[in-house]
Amino acid sequence: MLDVHGDFRCCDRCTGNATAVRASRRRMLKAAVFTAHGESPGPEAERAAEFPVPGKLPRAVTGTVRDVSPHVLVIGNGASETRIALTSEATAWRGAPLEPSGVQPGDQAVVRLHPSRRGVADRIWANVGRVTGVIIERDRDSLLVDEGKTKPRQLVMIPCAASGRIQVRFPNLEPGYLIDVIGVRRPGSLEARIPATSQPAYPVDQMPAPAMVAGRVPAVISGSVTWHEPVEEPPGLLGVSYPALDPGSGCAEDPVRSAAPQFVRMPYLAVGSVLQVRNDCTKSSCTLPVTGCAAIARLFNDRCVTCGTSPRGRVADLTQASFIALGGELERGCFNATITIGR
Amino acid sequence: MFGHTLLEIREAQVPLLSAMLLGGCAAKLARVVRVGSMDAGLGPTALFPLRLRRPVAITTCAVEFACGVALIVTAGGLGRGGAATAVRIVTSLLFLVATCALIELRTSHPEAGCGCFGEFSRAPVSGRTLARSAFFAAAALVTIGLPRLRAPHPGADAARLLGIFAIELALIALLSPELGEALTRLGYSEPCELRRMPTVRTLAALRRSSQWRKRAGLISAEVPVDMWRELCWRYVVFPARVGDRAGEIVFAVYLRPHRPLVHSALVDSATGEVLPWPDAPARRRRVPAAKPPESGPEPSGIRRIGASAEAWSVSPTGSLPFSGGRRPIPGASWPGPGSGLGAGSGRIPAGMLSAHSDSDVHVRPAAAEPSAHSSPDDLPFSSDL
Repeated sequence: MLDVHGDFRCCDRCTGNATAVRASRRRMLKAAVFTAHGESPGPEAERAAEFPVPGKLPRAVTGTVRDVSPHVLVIGNGASETRIALTSEATAWRGAPLEPSGVQPGDQAVVRLHPSRRGVADRIWANVGRVTGVIIERDRDSLLVDEGKTKPRQLVMIPCAASGRIQVRFPNLEPGYLIDVIGVRRPGSLEARIPATSQPAYPVDQMPAPAMVAGRVPAVISGSVTWHEPVEEPPGLLGVSYPALDPGSGCAEDPVRSAAPQFVRMPYLAVGSVLQVRNDCTKSSCTLPVTGCAAIARLFNDRCVTCGTSPRGRVADLTQASFIALGGELERGCFNATITIGR
Repeated sequence: MFGHTLLEIREAQVPLLSAMLLGGCAAKLARVVRVGSMDAGLGPTALFPLRLRRPVAITTCAVEFACGVALIVTAGGLGRGGAATAVRIVTSLLFLVATCALIELRTSHPEAGCGCFGEFSRAPVSGRTLARSAFFAAAALVTIGLPRLRAPHPGADAARLLGIFAIELALIALLSPELGEALTRLGYSEPCELRRMPTVRTLAALRRSSQWRKRAGLISAEVPVDMWRELCWRYVVFPARVGDRAGEIVFAVYLRPHRPLVHSALVDSATGEVLPWPDAPARRRRVPAAKPPESGPEPSGIRRIGASAEAWSVSPTGSLPFSGGRRPIPGASWPGPGSGLGAGSGRIPAGMLSAHSDSDVHVRPAAAEPSAHSSPDDLPFSSDL
């Protein structure tokens, strides 16, 4: 059996409240230094008002299923409970599509609420999980994956039924290669069901060189946007992990073995910077703060094909709530997106 | 005559081969230093299993270095006889093996670069790369059996040797895809948004700036409480104390290597409001005491309108101008003093700077600020340089 204990340590980026306070404070200070006396505070401060508000975008509710009936789903989160109505239009997923009433008590559920009907479930994901990282060990039927220093090592079990489907997209299930799979959370492991992308042909230490960029870096960048599981993020956190945090401050989420190079040349930002993320498939967009570093996402040079074919490279890694708010389907793994750097 | 020229050509190969080997080794080491890991190798190491790549890369580098040094050492009197021949045979074998490895690499990993000169050899292995490697192998082979090298006689001999070097270097350049890459890099200027700039350099540049000299008297700690970067600017926040009020001074430093543009603002720690700069900062020895505006002193904290006549005046009582001129930042919430993030949270180290009150000194406020992404080259002023 593979040892999942690794160099797992968290940082202040993982705690949502501290990140939110820091982001807010940095925006304020940045606006202050560029605000001439008596002048407009500039687009930065104005954009702060564009953060998604409940009711404007689909909202996600996360928690443990406490009870389920054909018409009502009860989600618990600590001491609080949320009752959500199930209609015939609602759909659910737990490794595969199923009836919403098929969700079982004890399942960890992410519920997307109907954007226009209060307290009505639109879609339910039960025990959904995702592992994106570098394979560091391989056993007969399992893989040990490094997702970066701030996350514990992940044990990925590949059942026979899903093995063929996954190996078509991930032919090199060997140490040093990247993996990105979506599946069902089991105690201590992820049971992989769906490949979230196609595997890059290179191992992580043989990445192709990024193209040299001349002139000014565009403020609008298109590519693939993915989601990640919360480790110590509070449920419902709206934020984005960005692949190019300032090297001066370091990327705490770097892979364990070394600092990750970067495939897409993106301008350097910091925790607290804001991005406008637009889902090119649904056309919905919102402004999100950078809450962490997408160290693993920047190793991929894949394309998202949810609607059309995106340019190469992952430009953002969203929290579950943000991904759902922008109309993403968790089991698809990505959507084509355009990000605008908040200037 | 022909035999003599041929001998000179053979002799010229020894220093050339040595230079190429040592150059290749240095380029590989430079890449290791930059990336921080020997694992991130290039070239024929891709033919080996992952666990063997690191030792193979180290061995290759070591052999190149050893051969490069040994070729020079054994070229003169030291290498008479078997030692010189052995070194040259090993060098020939090295290039022959390298040529075969590159052929294999081209077949099995057509996208991989040869890695011969580290970072510069990223282009896929081409016919030129193979020809160059074969050329080096041939050059190493012709050195076997050479007598010990002697310095050329000044005049015709030296000129002929220089000519041989020039022709051969031109041939190597012709066969080297790295040359184009190197020339491209020489003329490449990285956009400021992608430029790596250590925080130490930013702080050093900030402390040399006129903005720092103007505001240093208000700063109450030597280490910043926060520092972050966005695009072309790095922001540095210091706690400040003005009278009995806790504030924060935020500096925006443009990320360029020399004489960066610096802006600054004073912010109230408790409310997050932008405060006017008080008069009488410390350490302003170079700034002569400015005369009050011709129209006479204005109430403290009230800013005069007019681009050329902007000036702050001190109140007759010497009190700090906090009563007016506050500008809340719309849309940005402020965590407040209880968050522990602002100044005055008990983290002021020793070496605290003290502000003295020199009420005769009038400080001009910063001119109209550019937008956060504007280039300093586009700015209408350079007073902060």
